[in-house]
Amino acid sequence: MAESAVRVMIVDDHPMWRDAVARDLAEAGFEVVATVGEGEQAVRAAGACRPDVVVLDLQLPDLSGVEVTRQLRAAWPGAAVLILSASGEQRDVLDTVKAGAAGYLVKSADRAEFVAAVRRTAAGDAVFSPGLAGLLLGEFRRLSASPSPDTPRLTDREAEILRMVATGLSYKQIAQRLTLSHRTVQNHVQNTLSKLQLHNRVELVRYAIDHGLDSDPA
Amino acid sequence: MTVEATLWRSIAVFRFASLAYAAALIAVGSASYSRPGWAWAVLAAMAAWTAGTSLAYAVPAHRTRPLLAADLAVTAAALLSTALVQYPHSVEVSATPVTATWVAGPVLAWAVTGGSWAGAAAGIVLGLCDLALHHQALAGAFSSPALNGSVLLLLAGIVVGYVSTLATRAERALQRATEIEAASRERERLARGIHDSVLQVLALVQRRGGEIGGEAAELGRLAGEQERALRTLIAAGREAAPPAGEADLRGLLTPLSASEVSVATPADPVLLPGPAARETAAAVLAALDNVRQHCGAQARAWVLVEDEGDAVSVTIRDDGPGMPPGRLAQAAAEGRLGVSQAICGRLRDLGGSASITTAPGAGTEVRLRVPRGGCGRRNDAAGPRDG
Repeated sequence: MAESAVRVMIVDDHPMWRDAVARDLAEAGFEVVATVGEGEQAVRAAGACRPDVVVLDLQLPDLSGVEVTRQLRAAWPGAAVLILSASGEQRDVLDTVKAGAAGYLVKSADRAEFVAAVRRTAAGDAVFSPGLAGLLLGEFRRLSASPSPDTPRLTDREAEILRMVATGLSYKQIAQRLTLSHRTVQNHVQNTLSKLQLHNRVELVRYAIDHGLDSDPA
Repeated sequence: MTVEATLWRSIAVFRFASLAYAAALIAVGSASYSRPGWAWAVLAAMAAWTAGTSLAYAVPAHRTRPLLAADLAVTAAALLSTALVQYPHSVEVSATPVTATWVAGPVLAWAVTGGSWAGAAAGIVLGLCDLALHHQALAGAFSSPALNGSVLLLLAGIVVGYVSTLATRAERALQRATEIEAASRERERLARGIHDSVLQVLALVQRRGGEIGGEAAELGRLAGEQERALRTLIAAGREAAPPAGEADLRGLLTPLSASEVSVATPADPVLLPGPAARETAAAVLAALDNVRQHCGAQARAWVLVEDEGDAVSVTIRDDGPGMPPGRLAQAAAEGRLGVSQAICGRLRDLGGSASITTAPGAGTEVRLRVPRGGCGRRNDAAGPRDG
């Protein structure tokens, strides 16, 4: 893919990280349009800088990762959010992904992995680490306890593929094992994420209606 | 000021107020005393004692048993002196004793020091003195005013003693809560500080080290291990503790993650009875040791924990060379029981199962399944979320 300079915004409250990440991305041919240290700043800047990808650290001083992701997507829907975060924040990662983040990468990932992840995010693909696949499997399992017919469920094939991603198989290896095309595997993975995000949005709307938040204030 | 100091101060105020009341009664009713001079003399002694005890009780170190006993004795003497002051003239008048309400002072002091029982004891002593006085002075010892006064003294001792015990206990509980809160706030502050500095630097060292390679890569790997260990430590302080007797399998397996081992888990606790969780973790560790032993230190491994409601499953996969079919059975037959014993044996003891899938060139996958005893608990019923 010829990159006509993918525009990236970096949101991290640690200057050392911001600089390191910005340098890596610039060297790889990305255009770093903004580096900010706070969530509110990020939301304001997103409208002006119009990034294609936002690299987001979950632990910001002002807003939660979920809140930043939601507001970012509202302020500038063109941005795909890639969470670059450390291990040990599993609930936060899951909630942020449900709120619309396109993927999750651990901070200890090396430069090549990181650059590839940003490239995939820019192309509209979900970035799945084994850890995120494990979180999604757990979340679907949790939702399966709900009797409501419109809770999202995994097909057997999707569960099989997520399990393979969670145990470290690459899309290519999965495609070989299941004799599917690489693209089909990718679509299945993307589907699981979309189902959760859609469910999350529906739940939010339902919550708003139940609590009378949808009516115009008189 | 502590609750106890406040109570002592109130007692002092009460003593001075009732001293003034006693003085007023003598001034108004001195005609009913046969020897008003004596009444004023007793009042003077009471005033001196009130000033002395109030000063003494203000210092915690002076609230000793001898002082409390003396207080009770002096007050009883002042009360009984009424007989001397008004006898025999006022037999028919039924005058109030010179001490009036002042007698309650030591009852309150005893109650605050020793609780209900001490308060009741002091109340009974002074109540009996009062009754004796009336018996001497009046024909009907159990005439209602005297009895009323004695019962009131007794009740005051019990109630004030109870309240004082309760207040002191509440104060201690509050102090403990404040200390705990301060400790957890301090831990949060440290966690924030560590997150903002040490963890970031360690992660950066790991990343840059890996890029530079060579010895720097080794340093980077070490930094990464420390980063994960520290982060797990910080996160552990924030998680709610699992119910008694149960353990969160995630807490046992997440620390195993390293640069070559990935551990994937649900976001919610995966609870098992404590021993079952530890045995399962030991089986996982045995499987990972196996990977290192047979596939080398460079081999990567992935651990996936799944909560299936009525069971917990753990999958361990490696990207090593794998084994030809029958290799495991052969090893067991030759008496090399490592895998069978450490993994399969453990799982059998838990009532679970272990299956091993392997093929040359396709790595090895070990799947453990631990059933939950009882009635299929779901993980969504487990534990509060970390807010």
